[in-house]
Amino acid sequence: MAKADLKPKSIRHAKNWSDEVENLYRFQQAGYRDEFEYKQVKQVDTVECWPETGFVKKLQRRDNTYYYYNKQRECEDKEVHKVKVYVY
Amino acid sequence: MVVEKAAASPPVPVGERRPQKQEPLGRKKKIRQQVTDGFTVKALMKNSVVRGPPLAGAFKERPTKPTAFRKFYERGDFPIALEHDTKGNKIAWKVEIEKLDYHYYLPLFFDGLCEMTFPCEFFARQGIHDMLEHGGNKILPVIPQLIIPIKNALSLRNRQVLCITLKVLQHLVVSADMVGEALVPYYRQILPVLNIFKNMNGNIKMFQTPHSKRRRKDVNSGDGIDYSQQKRENIGDLIQETLEAFERYGGETAYINIKYMIPTYQSCILN
Repeated sequence: MAKADLKPKSIRHAKNWSDEVENLYRFQQAGYRDEFEYKQVKQVDTVECWPETGFVKKLQRRDNTYYYYNKQRECEDKEVHKVKVYVY
Repeated sequence: MVVEKAAASPPVPVGERRPQKQEPLGRKKKIRQQVTDGFTVKALMKNSVVRGPPLAGAFKERPTKPTAFRKFYERGDFPIALEHDTKGNKIAWKVEIEKLDYHYYLPLFFDGLCEMTFPCEFFARQGIHDMLEHGGNKILPVIPQLIIPIKNALSLRNRQVLCITLKVLQHLVVSADMVGEALVPYYRQILPVLNIFKNMNGNIKMFQTPHSKRRRKDVNSGDGIDYSQQKRENIGDLIQETLEAFERYGGETAYINIKYMIPTYQSCILN
């Protein structure tokens, strides 16, 4: 079964910032759990990312508007604990 | 023969005569001075004090005019929507930025730099940021159309607009290749206002002297803390950063052109 079709088994909140937490923050700002749900909903294979940093560059929201993100870190330390990390 | 004058007062006996009034020693006779404007006949008189020249108004803020950005925004012509998130506000684009016509939209967004009220000010600032971040080689051909909006924003001499415009200029020169060099021919339109505010590193207060009102810089904020440098709102520092960015990304002729408009500027590359 493809991982995108799986539902998460558990959820925890991030404690420290990392590249993965930054990308999760960006997906959750756009209204998705993580990259798996985004690919499942939007039926795309790849997500546009900044080549220099690897962070997500552009996401299409459920209402078909677009969110653009900066090349550098956007998730501040005070927002890190709000980021949810899903475990499959 | 002595002719007595008619109605003359009777002679006063010697013992009752009062001494003549004399000025006390060391005290000069008071001369009434009059304050007058310069280059008049009155100014040539000995007892006149010439008033100083009136303020030219170099630092005075100009009134804002209605912008094309506001007109288009109220009509709903922009493909943007406002989203509220935990950090504050964010722009959601209805159309992909890569598909936008930069010749049409980018000058309009730059025209919104003159705005000072929410949400126009936020949309203009954030829209410019997004378009410059994702524009790539579409930005260079539009540079000539951006000069007039930048000049209009700077000429308002409003502190908030100045800070935002300077940060936009810094982003503009690094947004794509050759943009810094493309700006060099337009320095004579952009830099004069920067020359005026280059030394503004503190708060401006009005001091009234006896003969004229003059504005003087006052960096003495008592026991308060000056957060303007931390928040990147110190205009003098922002101008210095912007000029250094111009010099770094403007090519070989950038420094001499900056020096022509701002003679006190010191190179950050040559020194």
